[in-house]
Amino acid sequence: MPEPIRLVIVDDHSIFRSGLRADLDAVEVVGEAADVLSAITVIRESEPDVVLLDVHLPGGEGDDATGGAAVIRGCAGVPTRFLALSVSDAAEDVVRVIRAGARGYITKGSSGAEVSRAVRVVAGGDAVFSPRLAGFVLDAFGAVEGETATATDELDRLSAREQEVMRLIARGYAYKEVAAELFISIKTVETHVSAVLRKLQLSSRHELTAWASQRRLL
Amino acid sequence: MHSSVSATAPVRPPRPARTPPAPRAPLERDRECLVSGVCAGLARHLGAPAGTLRALFVVLSALGGFGVLLYVWCWMLMPWQSGTATPSRHAPVAWLLTAASGIPLLIVVTDGGWAWRYYYLPGSTPVAVAALPAVLVLATAAGVWAGLVDRADPTRGPRHALIVRALTVAVLLVVFATMSLRAMPALFLLLPLAGIAAVLSTSLIRRWRELSGERIRRIREEQRSEMAAHLHDSVLQTLALIQNRAGASSEAARLARAQERELRAWLYDGDSPADSDLPTDLRDYAAALELDYPVRIDVVSAGLSTERASGEAAAAAREAMLNAARHAGGDVSVYIEGSASGVDVFIRDRGDGFVMDDMPVDRLGVRESIIGRMRRAGGTATVRSDANGTEVHLRIGRGMDAPAPANDAATAGAVDA
Repeated sequence: MPEPIRLVIVDDHSIFRSGLRADLDAVEVVGEAADVLSAITVIRESEPDVVLLDVHLPGGEGDDATGGAAVIRGCAGVPTRFLALSVSDAAEDVVRVIRAGARGYITKGSSGAEVSRAVRVVAGGDAVFSPRLAGFVLDAFGAVEGETATATDELDRLSAREQEVMRLIARGYAYKEVAAELFISIKTVETHVSAVLRKLQLSSRHELTAWASQRRLL
Repeated sequence: MHSSVSATAPVRPPRPARTPPAPRAPLERDRECLVSGVCAGLARHLGAPAGTLRALFVVLSALGGFGVLLYVWCWMLMPWQSGTATPSRHAPVAWLLTAASGIPLLIVVTDGGWAWRYYYLPGSTPVAVAALPAVLVLATAAGVWAGLVDRADPTRGPRHALIVRALTVAVLLVVFATMSLRAMPALFLLLPLAGIAAVLSTSLIRRWRELSGERIRRIREEQRSEMAAHLHDSVLQTLALIQNRAGASSEAARLARAQERELRAWLYDGDSPADSDLPTDLRDYAAALELDYPVRIDVVSAGLSTERASGEAAAAAREAMLNAARHAGGDVSVYIEGSASGVDVFIRDRGDGFVMDDMPVDRLGVRESIIGRMRRAGGTATVRSDANGTEVHLRIGRGMDAPAPANDAATAGAVDA
């Protein structure tokens, strides 16, 4: 059995934290936090592999209603990866933490096994995309209208392969099934997903920014 | 003779059984009315012709103005018919009033309000006496009506209101000029000015109404978001935890998920009207299915959502979702992609799958309700099933053009109609 993944759970509901802690397997929970400031302290001290981060946290600065992004910003420089947990699968919440640097997101309704799997994927350096996030990405990058990247380093559009992968994820395929469907290895699927995540974080694409500013995110 | 008369006299028919009178129409005013809808509404309520009622009001008005009072009272107390349309009036009331003020205006301009020169000049004709008050009242009423009532009327609008108000202000200015040239008492000079002020103040009243409406809306919005924040922190989290702990297909998780969905729709969708596009419709249907079957349906949409919920694609998609919920259960994914060329719907489940050729011919579910329906609508339906689950792919082209073949319809194991 490999060394367990060191995990910090950040959520302002203790009942949720304890429930999750009991459900997770093959991970070692090294810390818990309930608000933005204590989360930053705990993460800086314990330097976990993965942080399970609630999108909505008290203690965010200003009128920033979701503290999740503030935690990620506050932990700049710590070698840790963030997996966002959200009770709402509203795209605006999710995209905000993703753009702040989270490696993926899952909803709080997910079972313990699903959360454990997602934590392992994120710990391995890959991204976790839900069908809904994939749908949003396809929408925001104009893939539905047939826009396709021509150069590999283009940030504002998805390549044809990335679009195929996103479409299959939106259709509810697991990475393994995506790989079988496209006759590629799982590792290649993960590479594509990570590339999409990078684009999502770095792109200055008009729809993303317009959409975000429309909801006063940026 | 007498007896013959009685013999031929018609036998009195038996009295018809007394039937309860039909319930009266509610007393309310049409949103599409002549002036205020009072007479039409009363007529419907009483079952009398509207013309008679109008004549009655005119006659009663002659009796010491009683009709006017009754009319105004009805006007104030009768509610509008239910609906959201802005009331629209056929009669050009503002124009009629403006036109009516023209005649007394001519009289006032020609005789200079002579009858009122010394408050009251004995010996003036009644017409000369009535002219000045008439022009003041009519012009002011026209301007106020245009500013308050006609402006909101969709068939007239702000431009019409502006013209009428400009005209009435001009009329009142002419009256003022005439009166000041004839050196009328200062008290009388104030009257046309007061009329102008009344006409102009309608914009202020409107602005004030808008402001207070805006404030009420904002307060409601604030209350809602406060409540949303509170519920988000308590109820939604608890519901999520219940789902998390109870396992995806348990009864408790299903109920919790349905409650969560309902609460979230109420909290975050706000007052936006529920338009019946395809993703919204399928989401609602998924919520209903989750209540009835041990299933968790995730509906994701991308692109345009112009496909109507009433279309054949929607019906086929619902049938496929029902099949997935009934036969497979567990997690079901629905993905809707609307592009300029057409709409794709994918319904994927994780059931044991089935083989189309093994299905008895009399089972209409897949063959008729999904594949046949899509073919008749000019689209395609592809069912792909193996041990890992079943995926139904529906595609319908936009407009009248022939549906493009689905790009992945020819994959291994596909069972095409």
